[in-house]
Amino acid sequence: MPTELLLDRPARLRDLRARVQVRALPTALALLLVAWLLIFIAVPVVMVLARSLAAKDGGITLSHFATFFGKAYFLRSLTNTLILGTGVTALVMGLGFALAFLVTRGPRALRFPLRAATLAPLVAPPYLFGLALIIVGGRRGFIAQLLGIQIPIYGWPGVIIAQVLSFLPVAFLMIENVLQSLDPNLEDSACDLGAGELDLLRTIIVPLASPGLLKAALLTFGLAIADFGNPALLGGGLSFLAPDAYLMITGEWNAEMASVISVVLLVPSLAIFLAQHYWLKGKTYTTVSGAPAASEERSIGPWLGIALILPCLAYVAAIMASYGVIILGAFTKLVGIDNTLTLEHFVKDVGPDAIWTSVKVSLAAGLVSAVVGTGLAYLCMRTEIRLRGFLEFITLIGFALPGTVMGIGYLLAFNRPPLLITGTLAILVLNMIARFLAVSLEAGVSKLHQIDVSLEEASADLGAGVLTTFRRIVLPLMSSAFVAGFLFTFMQSMISLSAAIFLVAPGRLLASVYIFNRARDGDMGISCAMSVILIASVAVCLWGLSLLARRTGMRILAVRT
Amino acid sequence: MSNQTLLSLDSLTKRYGTVTAVEDVSAAIRRGELVSFVGPSGCGKTTLLRLIGGFIRPDAGRVVLDGGDITALPPNRRPTAMVFQNYALFPHLTVAQNIGYALAIRRRPRAEIARRVEVLLALVQLQELGQRLPAQLSGGQQQRVALARALSLQPKVLLLDEPLSNLDADLRVQMRAEIKRLQRELQQTVVFVTHDQEEAMSISDRIMVMYQGRILQVGTPSEIYERPATAFIARSVGAVNFLEGVLTNGTPGQATVTTSLGTLAIRSVAEGVGSGERVCLVVRPETIRLGPPDNGMGSNRVLGRIVSSMYTGALIRYSVGVGATRLTVDLYDPRHTAVFREGDQVTLILPEDPHLLPGTNAE
Repeated sequence: MPTELLLDRPARLRDLRARVQVRALPTALALLLVAWLLIFIAVPVVMVLARSLAAKDGGITLSHFATFFGKAYFLRSLTNTLILGTGVTALVMGLGFALAFLVTRGPRALRFPLRAATLAPLVAPPYLFGLALIIVGGRRGFIAQLLGIQIPIYGWPGVIIAQVLSFLPVAFLMIENVLQSLDPNLEDSACDLGAGELDLLRTIIVPLASPGLLKAALLTFGLAIADFGNPALLGGGLSFLAPDAYLMITGEWNAEMASVISVVLLVPSLAIFLAQHYWLKGKTYTTVSGAPAASEERSIGPWLGIALILPCLAYVAAIMASYGVIILGAFTKLVGIDNTLTLEHFVKDVGPDAIWTSVKVSLAAGLVSAVVGTGLAYLCMRTEIRLRGFLEFITLIGFALPGTVMGIGYLLAFNRPPLLITGTLAILVLNMIARFLAVSLEAGVSKLHQIDVSLEEASADLGAGVLTTFRRIVLPLMSSAFVAGFLFTFMQSMISLSAAIFLVAPGRLLASVYIFNRARDGDMGISCAMSVILIASVAVCLWGLSLLARRTGMRILAVRT
Repeated sequence: MSNQTLLSLDSLTKRYGTVTAVEDVSAAIRRGELVSFVGPSGCGKTTLLRLIGGFIRPDAGRVVLDGGDITALPPNRRPTAMVFQNYALFPHLTVAQNIGYALAIRRRPRAEIARRVEVLLALVQLQELGQRLPAQLSGGQQQRVALARALSLQPKVLLLDEPLSNLDADLRVQMRAEIKRLQRELQQTVVFVTHDQEEAMSISDRIMVMYQGRILQVGTPSEIYERPATAFIARSVGAVNFLEGVLTNGTPGQATVTTSLGTLAIRSVAEGVGSGERVCLVVRPETIRLGPPDNGMGSNRVLGRIVSSMYTGALIRYSVGVGATRLTVDLYDPRHTAVFREGDQVTLILPEDPHLLPGTNAE
C-alpha cells in the first residue's frame, strides 16, 4: 500500500505543476497576443471608421459621406470601380474555369506546363503586368516608337487586362481545388447514363462546384476593387476608388475623405468575408475526402477543346510575353528602341538599397508572423483557452481587408503618441504581420489537427512537463507549418504595394513602392531590373513552399479565404 | 435462360505504365445470366468492368456486344449501365432526379420521366423517398437508388462494381437476395465484381476467377468450389486441406493415393494422371467425418488427436493432428453431433471422392 502512494506522489506533483503552468503562462501569453491583435488589426479599422464619421467639433457626422455621394467625381469612381470588379471577375472566372478544367481533366502532358504558366504571376508584384503593358503599348512604348501607332491601353482595356493577369492565379487555385475534390465517379456515372460533355458541365460539374466558384468570384471581386497599382498605372483618365484614396492622403491630406473611401471599399470586402465565413461555410459538395487523386484523362471533344484551349493559350502567351518584356527591359538600355545589353539598371540609383530594405522588412515580418502564428495555433488547439474562433476571426479580418484600408488605418492610428511609429520600418513590419498572420495561424491549426493529442499525452505520460513536451515533441512536428507561415508572409511582404505605399516615409525605400514609383515616372529600365530581382527572390520562396507542401502534404496555396 | 452469347471480351489487354492490369482476357457472357469476376484486390476485375463500361480504352482487344464492336464507343453511347462502389449518386439532385437523369438528358417529356421514375422506385421499393436527397438516405437505400438509376435505360448489360462492400454484414446478405430477385425478374444480364467469394458463390450463375490480370477459371459456383482448377482457386473459395501424395494405382474403381496419412482409396481419377505421378488431394473441411477412436472399420479411416477447436455457432472447426499433418475439419450442427475436446483421440473418415489436382500444392 505505501509504495503505491510513494510512487504516486511525484507524479501528482508533476501534474499539479503542469496544471499551474497551463493556467499561468499561456493565459498571460494569450492576453498579450490578443492585445496585440486588437491594437494592430482592430484599432486601425476603428480609426478609419471613426475618422469617416468625425465632425470638426468632435461629434459624429455623416457629412463626409454626403460629400462623397454628392460629388459626381466620386460617384464616377465608385461606378468605375464596381464595373471594373464585375468585368474582371467575369473574365477571371471564365478563364480560371477553363484552365482548371484542362489542368484537372485535360491531357496529362498539358497539365503541368499549363499549371506552372497559370501560377507564374503569383511571384510577381501585382502591378507587373501593368508595367509590361506600358513598356509594350504605352505612350512611349515600343509599339508607339517603332510602328508609330498608339494602341489604347490606358483606360479600361489596360486596367482590365493587367488585373485579369494579376488575379487569375488565386482564383485558379480555388477553382482547381473545387474541381479536384469532385468525385470522378459522379462524372463517370453521368457519362454512363448518356450525358455528353456539355450535359456534364451543365448538370453535374458546375452545380456541384458552384459554392466554390462563388467563393472564388467573391474573392476576385474583392481583390479587383481594392487593387491600387494597376488602376493607378493604367487608369489614364478613369478614376477608381483605391487610387483616389491615395490621392486624398498624399495630395491634400484629406484624411476624412480618404476614410470615407476606405469605408466604401471596406463594405464589399467585409460583406464578402462574412459571407464566406458564415454563409458559405460548410456549403460545399466536397465529394472526395483526403488528398484528391489525379483524375483520369477525359476525352474532350474538338469544339469544347478549342473553346477551352484558345483563351488559355492567349492567357499563357500574355503571361510569358509580360515576363519576357520585363526581363528584356531589365537587361537592355531601352527595350525595343536601344537593345544594347547592359547591367546598368541593376546598379543605378538606389534600387539595391530598396531591395535590401524590402528583404529586411519581409524577413522580420515573416519570422514574427511564423512564431506568433504557430504559437497562437498551439494556444487555440491545446490549452483550455477558448480563443480559436476569435483569433481566427480577427486575423482573417486582417487578411481580408483591402491593403489600402489597412494602410490608411495605420496612418491614422499610429501617427501620435503613445504609438508614434509612422515613418519607421517597424510600422511596415507590423502592418505586414497583421495582414498575413492568418495564413501562419491556419497552417499551424491544420498541422495540429494532423498531430494526434496522444503523442503529447505519451510524452507527458513518460514524465515530460508541458514545456518539455512542447519543445521536444510539438515544435519539431510543427516546423513545417512554421516554415509555411514564414515563407508565405515573406513572399507577400516582398511584393505587396497597396498598404506599404501609404506607410513608407519619404526618403525611405521599399522595393515594391520604389518600382511602382519609377514605373509611374516612366523609368522602365530600373523598374524592370528591380522587378526581376524581386520576382527571383519570391520565386525561390515559392519553390521552397511547394517543396514543403509536397513533402508534408500540406495545402498552403489553397488558402481557405 | 438462353445460351446465346450477349457480350464477348476478345483478348483484352490494359496496361498502366509497366503494370499490366488486364492481360489477354477473353470471355463470353450469355444473355440473362449473372456473371461474377472474383479475385483479390489488384487482380484486374474492376479494370475489366471499366473496360466493358467504356470508362477506359483497352490497349489491345475488342469488346463485342450483341454482335457489334463497341470498343471505341464512349460510356454515354454504350448500352451498358454501371452501379459504382460508392454509388456515385448526384448529391445535388433528389432521388427522383437521380433516377430520371438519363431520361432527362435525352429530353424525354416530363410526364414520361415521372411515370418511369415511379415504376423504378416501386421496383426497388422506395416509393416514398423520391423527393429526398441522397445524403438523407441510408446506405442500403442509396444502393437501391443507384440500382434503379442504372436500370432506368434498360441496359443490355448491368455492371456492378463491388456494390455491397459499403454495407453492413446483414444488409449485404439482404441486398444480395434483392439483386438476385431483380436480375431474375428483369432477366437482366449482369456482370458483378466482388472480392468476396461467398458473395460471388451465392449470387452468380457463373464465376470467373481472376488473378494478376488473367481469368484462371470459369464455372458455376459448385464447379469452382468442388473442382477448382488450381490450389490457388481452391484456397480462394473457402477453407481447404491439401494432401500431397502419389497415385499408386490408377485403375478406375480401385484407385489409391499414398499420402502422409497412409493409402487412401479414391473413386475417380482425373484424366491425364497416370500411376506413379504426384498428385494433390483437395479435401474440404466439411467432407471429413469425425468419430470416436473405436469407430469400426472401413476404408479411409485414420486416427488423430484434436489440437484445437473453434465454436462458431453453426459449426465447430477442429484442427486435428494426424502425425505431423494438421487437418481442418468442420462439424456442423454441434448440438446434435459428438463434441470433442482438445486432446481427444478421434477417427477421421476421409471422403472417397476428393478433387484431385496433378502435381503438388506448390503449384
